[in-house]
Amino acid sequence: MNLFRSEEHARRWPQFNPAAEEGFIALPDLAAFFGTETRRHMLDADYLSAWYPKRAAERRAVLERLGKTSPFWLGTPAPA
Amino acid sequence: MFQRIMRALVETGRAPHYAELARAMRLTVEQGRQLLLDVMQAYPIGWLHPETDYIASFPPLNSLPTQYRVSVGGEQKWFAQCGFEATSVTWLFPGATVRIEAPCLDCGDPVVVEMRDGRLGTVDPPGIVGHLNYGFGASRGRPAFL
Repeated sequence: MNLFRSEEHARRWPQFNPAAEEGFIALPDLAAFFGTETRRHMLDADYLSAWYPKRAAERRAVLERLGKTSPFWLGTPAPA
Repeated sequence: MFQRIMRALVETGRAPHYAELARAMRLTVEQGRQLLLDVMQAYPIGWLHPETDYIASFPPLNSLPTQYRVSVGGEQKWFAQCGFEATSVTWLFPGATVRIEAPCLDCGDPVVVEMRDGRLGTVDPPGIVGHLNYGFGASRGRPAFL
């Protein structure tokens, strides 16, 4: 999960996975993906018990809003 | 214990050892170690260094240095777990400008992102993108940092 100067730079990276062409995300979208409500409570005393468990649903909602609904992004097994 | 680890990382840039945590929590050292293992199990997006009980990663920050250097108030003493988690570090420093600086893995030239309370500021170069090299989920089968 890396930041690159551009998509072209990422594709030139020797470890670039050709199967990860759909793995790009614009920086503003990334900031939204990692800036959901639960993230704002990481310093709260009850973060691990009250907020962290909500993270998965929250992440899924953002990904769906961004149109990233493939198994690659949602973490679901690819169809056989 | 979770909050003690997170706050120590924020304050010092490094994760505490379980013996330090145990003492602060008035536990025996072994109780501290077991509690650390429980915390890491409950927070599986972080990890201990292999074959040790040392906290290597406790996202969004990393105790083990990565290429994602984080500066706050002009002071660089933090590292983000990865490029994605780097964009979340802003939430640990409310009201402050958080600067993420990393070498591009293709060319080594800098990638710079500044954020304040979740909002993007400086982005240099403007075309910076995130890239997930292996899909999320149990089938990743690859190091999480790629």
